[in-house]
Amino acid sequence: MGQTLEKRKGILSSYSRRHSFVGFVFAIPAIIFLLVFVLYPVIYNIALSFTDASLSAKKAVHFVGIKNYVRMFSDKLFKQYFWNTCKWTFWSVLGQIVLGLGIALLISRPMKGATAIRSFLLIPYVVPAITLALIAKWIFNSDYGIVSYWLQQAGLIEARQSLLAMKGPAMWVVVILNIWRSYPFPMLIYWAALKGIDREMYEAATVDGANKWQSFRYITLPQLKGTTMVLIVLRTIWTATYYDLIQMVTGGGPTGSTTHLPILIYQASFGSFQMGYAASISMVLGVLMFICIIFYIRTGAADD
Amino acid sequence: MKTKSIKKQKLTAAIITTVLVLFLVAIVGFPLLWMAISSFKPATELFTIPPKIFPQDWSFEWYKQAFQNENVIHYFWNSIYIASIVMVIDMIVGTLTAYSVTRFEYKGRKVLRMSILAAYCVPPIMLMMPLFKIMAKLGLTGSHVGVIIGHLTVTLPFSVWLLISFFKKLPKEIDEAALIDGANEWQVFSLIDLPLCVSGVLSTGIMAFIMSWNEFLLSSVLVNKEAMKTLTVGISNYISSTHIDWGIIMALGTITTVPVVILFALVQKYFVEGMTAGAVKG
Repeated sequence: MGQTLEKRKGILSSYSRRHSFVGFVFAIPAIIFLLVFVLYPVIYNIALSFTDASLSAKKAVHFVGIKNYVRMFSDKLFKQYFWNTCKWTFWSVLGQIVLGLGIALLISRPMKGATAIRSFLLIPYVVPAITLALIAKWIFNSDYGIVSYWLQQAGLIEARQSLLAMKGPAMWVVVILNIWRSYPFPMLIYWAALKGIDREMYEAATVDGANKWQSFRYITLPQLKGTTMVLIVLRTIWTATYYDLIQMVTGGGPTGSTTHLPILIYQASFGSFQMGYAASISMVLGVLMFICIIFYIRTGAADD
Repeated sequence: MKTKSIKKQKLTAAIITTVLVLFLVAIVGFPLLWMAISSFKPATELFTIPPKIFPQDWSFEWYKQAFQNENVIHYFWNSIYIASIVMVIDMIVGTLTAYSVTRFEYKGRKVLRMSILAAYCVPPIMLMMPLFKIMAKLGLTGSHVGVIIGHLTVTLPFSVWLLISFFKKLPKEIDEAALIDGANEWQVFSLIDLPLCVSGVLSTGIMAFIMSWNEFLLSSVLVNKEAMKTLTVGISNYISSTHIDWGIIMALGTITTVPVVILFALVQKYFVEGMTAGAVKG
């Protein structure tokens, strides 16, 4: 008996030794891919930001030091677009997290058809941004759009006017559209987190005379703190760098009022062919992301 | 007395919950339904003021017109082709990676896990220019290779992330038992662990397909020929032109969205399971 155990231990330890190499082999394709098509491009992007590279491959590329950065920080428009980015990101993230939590609380109540409702409310997660964009352009169309029609009837906007053509409201419309398509992720994560909270804590609180609001404030919210931190970090990265929706709905207009940094990067690179300058703008987002990633790793969410 | 008021409270809560849920369902459903309805309205009804909710004559005219355009058929095939390849590569490479990260102990394993998460946070807008330059240098902007690689930079980290949660659930004792019985590493993977995770792998693949199908920025930058563009890019060209054919646009939007929603419905159970299995935890 003792012998077999020893033998088994021997096999097991050799098994974990053998593992080291085999396990690494399994990961080689992904490692190569990440090195070549993610890490190298990121470094490439950093390098580009110190050059006067243009879109065309034929033009000679020169090292220009921090010229692009100096130009960027002295650019009035850059400041405006930076603030647009902050506004867009802050309200989008706040909106989707509050809405996601609200819906999660709602659908974790015991009720008939809860799974079907959850499934339905997850749909926006996979609706292509282009679909949302074309619907928005249609319902906010100044002449035939149904939402424009309602707003015009209610006297909130003038006849033949559209929210998307108005400087202030256009940003709110794209933020609301963005919240529409991105709340399902926080909703799902919160829903799972709520399920994980120990029921007994609520029972104990009720026995101690806590009301519903107190239970929520002193049990639910603290329990969701970690989840919320992770969500804020992830959604901030994805929102601040998210190009598609605004581009498709307003193209950054009217007169730059919805232009944020991703659109500015696109315009600088593929619009006016100044890759070096565009790369330096993207570095602003890069630094922001780097801070977020470090923060994310430090929350421990990336551990086993 | 007291039980009565509690009953009353419960009833009010139930009513409020129902109203809120109905409201949410309407907010989510209305835009999509409105698009679908609009796509079946003949021109005379599409542009009436005030807009009518349901068409009097249902018409397939816009769908016919949309598919008379040869490019639309190309867009469709391109999207299916690209998303399918992306799906298969993600399933193979993603599975191997998630398996490696969850089942083995080796130096650098933690670094690899971190790198995958970090890669998941690297946005397309930062990769756009370097990838364009690389593809241009390799002369691949006239092919779909660039778009496929671009989509992989987005979907592969996501796939690995989701797959990790499926492989984590398998007890390691199964592997150990098989190894002691004389199976080799490849046999343990392909004959024991993989078959147990097959639904997770397939649903991850479908999610990668959906993400690739929906992707816009990299698809618009990394291919230059009109006939090689994907659906999302093709449609976006339509809606940014000065003359917009609303009926055709609504039809295209509907047929772009329906497949994705159906696919998602098929895999949602596994997706929810994977996403909530502690992949994002506090």
